[in-house]
Parts: sequence; structure tokens; C-alpha cells
Amino acid sequence: MLRAPALAASMLAATFLLALPLGLVMQRSLETHLGRSVEADAAAEGWNANWAAEYGAQAQGLGRTFGYEILGFGGTLAILSDLLDNTGLNPTLAIAATMSVALWIFLSGGLLDRLARGRPVRTSQFFSACGVYALRFSRLAIVIGAAYYALFRWLHPFLFGRVYHHFTRDMTAERDVAVLRIALYLVFLLALAVVSVVADFAKVRTVVEDRRSMLGALGASVRFIRRRPFRVAGLLVLNALAWLVILRLWFSVAPAATAPAWWAFLITEIYLLARVWAKLAFMASEVVFFQGDLAHAQYTAAPEVVWPDSPAAEAIGNMSRRREG
Amino acid sequence: MLLAAAALIAAASPRAAVQPEPARSPRNANYRLTASLDPVSHVITGSGRLTWRNISHTTTNELQFHLYWNAWRDANSSWLREQRLGRNGAMAGRPADDRGSIDVSTIAIGGTNLLARARFMAPDDGNTQDMTVLSVPLDQPVAPGQTIEIDLAWTSRVPRTYARTGRIGDYYFIAQWFPKIGVLEDTGWNCHQFHAATEFFSDFGVYDVTLTVPGGWKIGATGSAVEQTTDASGTRVRFAQADVHDFAWTTSPDFQVREERFDEPGLPAVRMILLLQPEHAGQAARHFAATRAALKYYGTWFGPYPYEQITIVDPVAIADAPSQGESTGGMEYPTLFTAGTRWRVAAAGTQPESVTVHEAGHQFWYGIVATNEFEHAWMDEGLNTFSTARTLDAAFPGRFATVDRFFGGLLPWAYADVPWSRAVDGNRLNAFRPVASADTPSTPTWQYWPGSAGAITYNKTALWLATLERLIGWPATQKILATHFSRGAFRHPVPDEFFAIASEISGRDLTWFFDAVYRSSATFDYAVTDVMSTSQGATTNHQVIVRRFGDGVFPISTRVTFADGTVTDAAWDGREPWHAITLSNPSAVARVQVDPDRVLLLDVNVTNNSWTARPRAAEASQKWALRWLTWVQELLLTYACFS
Repeated sequence: MLRAPALAASMLAATFLLALPLGLVMQRSLETHLGRSVEADAAAEGWNANWAAEYGAQAQGLGRTFGYEILGFGGTLAILSDLLDNTGLNPTLAIAATMSVALWIFLSGGLLDRLARGRPVRTSQFFSACGVYALRFSRLAIVIGAAYYALFRWLHPFLFGRVYHHFTRDMTAERDVAVLRIALYLVFLLALAVVSVVADFAKVRTVVEDRRSMLGALGASVRFIRRRPFRVAGLLVLNALAWLVILRLWFSVAPAATAPAWWAFLITEIYLLARVWAKLAFMASEVVFFQGDLAHAQYTAAPEVVWPDSPAAEAIGNMSRRREG
Repeated sequence: MLLAAAALIAAASPRAAVQPEPARSPRNANYRLTASLDPVSHVITGSGRLTWRNISHTTTNELQFHLYWNAWRDANSSWLREQRLGRNGAMAGRPADDRGSIDVSTIAIGGTNLLARARFMAPDDGNTQDMTVLSVPLDQPVAPGQTIEIDLAWTSRVPRTYARTGRIGDYYFIAQWFPKIGVLEDTGWNCHQFHAATEFFSDFGVYDVTLTVPGGWKIGATGSAVEQTTDASGTRVRFAQADVHDFAWTTSPDFQVREERFDEPGLPAVRMILLLQPEHAGQAARHFAATRAALKYYGTWFGPYPYEQITIVDPVAIADAPSQGESTGGMEYPTLFTAGTRWRVAAAGTQPESVTVHEAGHQFWYGIVATNEFEHAWMDEGLNTFSTARTLDAAFPGRFATVDRFFGGLLPWAYADVPWSRAVDGNRLNAFRPVASADTPSTPTWQYWPGSAGAITYNKTALWLATLERLIGWPATQKILATHFSRGAFRHPVPDEFFAIASEISGRDLTWFFDAVYRSSATFDYAVTDVMSTSQGATTNHQVIVRRFGDGVFPISTRVTFADGTVTDAAWDGREPWHAITLSNPSAVARVQVDPDRVLLLDVNVTNNSWTARPRAAEASQKWALRWLTWVQELLLTYACFS
């Protein structure tokens, strides 16, 4: 991953570009609400709690997501907590999140191809690989999406509804409730991790072995994981630890509300770059792990796609060959 | 100080029965009760005698009793119907095992049980299935000044907590648990059904209550423990307290018992007993500090706490309300209240201080000044919310910040960038804003829409009291409240008495003020909409247009600041839809502010109150939109794990 900085930077830029239209809408909304008010003076210097609360109360749609919850490390906790507690996203943000998932699915082919080759590739080659695998990964996404849907639609309510309610009913110590809830989070995270790892290795095998059948790739992924569960779990834990280290560092440097805008932006982007890097590093480690264990040494990805000439060009070529003949 | 674990009685050592003379209150509803708790069947079996004196000017030929726990007998009670109306359907859908009830077996006078002729009544909504008010016809009418003795016997099934009453595991908090007589007024009985949005109302008296709980369980109650014995049947404790209008108690084998003393020059000493959940042992000092702050500031501003003891109950923290039931925290009873904290709390958070100050403060606004919570809940909750905010600000300046709780509420996170403010957070402006016109405060509280009753009762009152303070100053406001306290102590004062005191003390007729904030549901919203300047020779005329967007009327001032530093204040009665202010000044207008000192805290839209020649909206919006954008980026990146 260290030799592929452009990948991480590009993915961060892609995420930024995805969020940018929403940011512009938010900027316009905030500016309109502030108008010529002196409340903007306090807002420009730091967090103007009164104005922000007033804006949040009057805003519709996306504007309702603007609140102190976005500040610093609290913003990170809010995102993770909402995800783990299965709290519904604002509809606009849900659409953006779906687009983000779609973007990553589209780019996964190129990313895995690049990581599997272990050498720089040209942009055209990168997107060519994206195009080759986009349709396959979209088919895979239907299966994996259904699995995630099942986890959030049925497993989460079962764990944090029926099971949680059953055990907390007569608990008089919140500490016991906390232990139970953490245990349930771990169970749910484990289920998410299993689906995620199966999906990841299915994609890795699709690219490395040029598989066309996604059901076949899923089966191959399951077989691969089943034969080496502890090593796969170890890989997962190592990457989770890397993610936790990044979170811990972010906890220390997350900018205060009074920080200059450019500084807060820079620090946050560095943090997000680290998050992207960790995600790509995880993908890379899965590729290397698979290649190290199963893929033959002379692995090459699918041959480069060569489009045939147009009929007119071919006719001209044939004619000139005939003349020469 | 942690008392010895062997001590069975939370209220510490027994004391002599408290019957101070002369009586502070009319003492016309006096109860001598005995009750025992069976923790297996969750049933309280009680009996005793009520000595009741008719202190009205009317003769009555019936008695009316509150049977509050029948609100949870089945889903047809008015209380549960109103919970559904207030969109709290989960409350009505709880399992049958959660339900509670009260069954009276004896209401006898002179040996004659009158129960056979008793009937349930629904004076408020005509709900024939509601069983929270029992009318008992009498053989002999009771004339004004006459005293009768009524023998009572009943059983109460303890619910899993509803309305801050009930059980969770082996923790019991028991309130409104016995047949409680209504209040006879000159116009007849004031005995409302139990409603979702309201609390209670009863007469003062002497309570002498003997409770039996399983051996080894700790117990706390209204008043002081005066006797204790332990035998094979359990631990028996007798509590006594005069000049109170209710009696609540709690028991659990797990309580840690702490005791400290409140000593403040100029105020009577008070013994503070804290019944603490073991996992909150590290928060004892915060509970005592908050109680001490309430006793000190309320005592200094309004009047001294007159009882010798106050008991603070730290309830079981509710992390999963659908299964555990409602919290019993944040509730007041005479000389005893429930606070409320969590296993993990933020040092900068207002928990447990806010709820502790608030409930300790209710000893003054509710306990001593015993207003009718069915009809005028603002008189205790609103006054107390205002007083709580003021006390927190005075006792813990700069200490608090906004706190969110994550991961099922288990992890607190303090936002240091968002400090707590008395004006907005203390008076709860943000929760008031969305329901500003939901109800007219002068409507009897039990008729409020249950979904917004709290915001009108607590928040709007606190906001208009803070507005009044900013209008007439704290010394006058403090004197109004102190006078209301001294005149209303051990009585049931009504709103008009408070309004008359306000006008009397402030020296001005405040009828217009109470018409605007209390007798109307109007919203307040003033704004600067236009600033225009025209030059005529050497002089420049400026015209500022100020508008009233809400239907609420309030006199306001407008401050115009010119580029040369000149400041001009212009007054406006606020009645017309708009008002033009014309000024002459060679300099340009730099800034205009409607209500610059923010007197009118009820203004729901403060951003439009000002205009500046050099707006920084673009700068501020770019800053915060960029910050928000990066937060969205993080969200997108997090959800990308599902790719």
C-alpha cells in the first residue's frame, strides 16, 4: 500500500467529490439562514449553539443533520453508534451512502487488480479492470446486500430487541446491562465481519482467478476461509487494530470548534486519508494472503481487452494487404 | 460517610416522633397506616385510619378518594389512553405482568363499611372504565369544621415501573400507593382522575406510617424513622412526619446508605440521607453537593427548608425502558425525592446535578407551596425549572457542557465546545420552540395535549419567568418568588395569587405580561427586515423596519449602532405588524438589533433579530459547511464497508 499512495488519495478525493454537492447545498442553506444576522459573527469564531439549535429546529431534510453532533470525535462516535444501533439515516444521506457503496463496488475491480499485480498500472488499465469486474461485482452485491439486509432487518432486532429485553428485564445494575450490550455488539460485529470477509475473498478470487460466476466465487471464498479460519480471523483482528489505532489518534487531534476552517479541514482529511489507507491496506492484505496461499506464482490478471477495429478500418486494411499481395 | 452495612434502616437511627407545635399547615388529612410488602407476589397489604377534617365552607355528603394505581390495571384507563394520544403507545402495550392496581376492601366510618355503595367516577373525561377516583356516599354529611375518622384496608399490586412508581428486580419505589382522599374546596371535591400529563394534589396532614419489608432490606421514606424492630416477619420501621401532603417510600437490599449534614449560616441545619445504588458509589459527593446547592439557594432566595431531614433516593438506572419499565428517577415527594444518574457519567455533564437540584427544589415548589398539579402544574414545575437553572448557574458556574449518550445510552460524550447556558439550556428553549403554540398555559394542565404538556408546563413557564427577571430585574423577581413562597407555604395558592403578588411587588400592573405569556398560546418572533439610508445635503436619514412575525405582542427596544460608534435605542410597543424607526446621522448604520439584551427569551427566532452592514454569513457558512462536509465524508467512508 505504501507504494500506491495515489490509490488512497484518489479514493479520498472520490469520497470528497461525492459529498461536495451536499456540502454546497448545506453551505447555501446555512448562509441563507444567517442572512445579515450578527449571529454569524459568533458562528464564524466558534460553535454558536443558540443559532445552530435554531437552525436545526427550522431546517428541513438535510439541514436537520446539522448539529453539534458533527463536532470532533463526537461526530465519529455518533456515526458508529447510529450504525451499530441500527438508527435510520437521513434519507438524503442514505442515498449518498448508497452511492458511496456503489462507487466502491465499481472501483473494487480496478483496486484489486492493481493490488494483485503489485505494480503501478496506467489509468486506462485501472478503469478497464473496473469495467470488467463492475457487472460481476454488482451481481455479487445483490447476494451480499441481501445478507447485510438480513443482518440489520432480522438479526439486529432479535439481538437488541428480544434477547436484550429478555436479559435486562430485572437487571438493577447498569454495569451488567453494559456487559450484555457489548457482548451483543460483538456478536453482531462478528456476523457483519463474516459477511464482509466472505464478500472480500469472493472479490479477490474473482479478480485473481478471473472468475465469471459470482456464486462460484462465493463458494470458493467460503471454502478458502473455512480451511484457514484462524489465519483469516488474525488478519481481520490485525486490520481492526490498525483501525482502532487511527481512531485513537483522531481522538487526540480532532479539531475544536474554534479551530480555523482550513486547519480543521486539513486535519480531518488526513484522518480520513488514514481511514481510506486502512481500508485499502485491508484489501491488499487479503489479496496478498490469498495469493501467498493459493494463487500460482505466474499469476497474471485477465488479458488486456483489445477491441476489434471498425469494419471500415478492417476493410481498408484488407484492401491494402491485397494490393501488397 | 458510609454507615455500617449491618444497619438495616436507611433513614438511620430512630428519632422521637415529630409533631412540632404550632402546626405549620391545616393538618386536616392525617393518616396512621401500617403496610407490609411481599416481594414474591409484589403485593402491599395495608390498613389504617384517616382522620379528616372538613376545612372548606361547604358541607359534603360524600368522600372522594384517589386510587392512582388503577391507572395501570388495564389499557382502558384514562392514563393509558392519554399515553397513546401522546404517541407513547409502548406504555399501553406492556405485558400484563407489568400492570399494577389497588383494591380497597374497607372504607368504614364508625364500624360501618361504606364500600358497598361506593362507585368509581370519571369527573374529567367521563371514561366509565377508569377506576382512579372512588366516590363514597356518607350516612351523615360532614359539616365545615367537622372531623371524621375513616378506617381503610386495601391491597396494592406493585407494577413494574409506570409513572416513576413500582419495582425493578428487588428495587421498589412506592408512591401514590394507598387510598388518598381528594381535596374538598368551597366549590366541591377537587379529585381528578389520574392523567398522563399531570401529577398530584392533596391536603396537608400528619403521616404516621409503619412499614414491614423483608429482613435486611434498607428502607427510606417521607419523614424520619421513629421506631424500628426486626423479627422473623421482617424489618418493621415506623416513620412520622407532620405538615406534609403525601407519603412515599422505597426499599431494596442493595442500597448504600450515606449521610451528611447541611449547615449554612442563616438557614436551619438539615440531615441529608442518601440511598445510593452501589454502582454509583463514586457519585455520592455530586448528589450531596447538588442537594446542598438547592437547600442553600432556594433557602436564601425564597425561604428556608423547614423539615429536619431530606432523603435522596438514587434509583436504578434504566438502560432498556421497553423491558425494565420507566425510570423512577426525577420525582418529588415531601422530604424525599428520587434523583437519577447513570453508571458512566461525564464530569462536564449536568447529570446528576440538574435532576438532583430540581427534585430537591420541589421541596419548596410543591412540597411546601402545595399548588394543584392537576390544574396548574406550571406553578411547581415551571417555577422550579426556572429556579433549578438559576441554582445550577450560581452553584456550578462554567462547569457544564452538552452531553450526548451513544451505544444504547451507555457511553456519555461531552461536547466541550457546547457549554451549558442557563438562559437556553436551563430554561429549555430548544425543546419549547417546536411546540411554542401547542397549548395555552392557563388551560387546566390535565387538558393539555400529552405530547407537549411538558414543554408548556416546564419550559414555557421557565422562559417567561426568566423574561420577567430580565424585564424587572432579579431583586424584584426574587422578592415576588419569596413573597409567593411565604404566603403560599403550607397552602394551595392559585395562579391569580401569584399574578397579584407580581404586580404588587414590582409596583406595576403586569396583567399585559401574563395575558401575553400565560393566557395566550401566541408565539413571539420579532425581526429586523430592512435598513434604508437616504442623503439630503449634509444629513443622512436612516429608516429601519422592524416587524412582528408572531402573534405574540411584547414591548421591545431596537438598538441602532452607527459606523461612528453612536448608539441609539428606540422603543416600540410591539403591537402593529411592523414599525419604522427613522434616525438622522451622518454615519452609515453598522448594526441593528431588536431586543439587544435578549429580554424576550420566548422569541422563537433570534437569528432574524439583527442586521449588520458587514455580514459574515458567507464566512461562517463556509466554515461550518466544510466541517459538515468532512463529517459526511466520514459517514460515507464508514458505510463503504458494505461495498
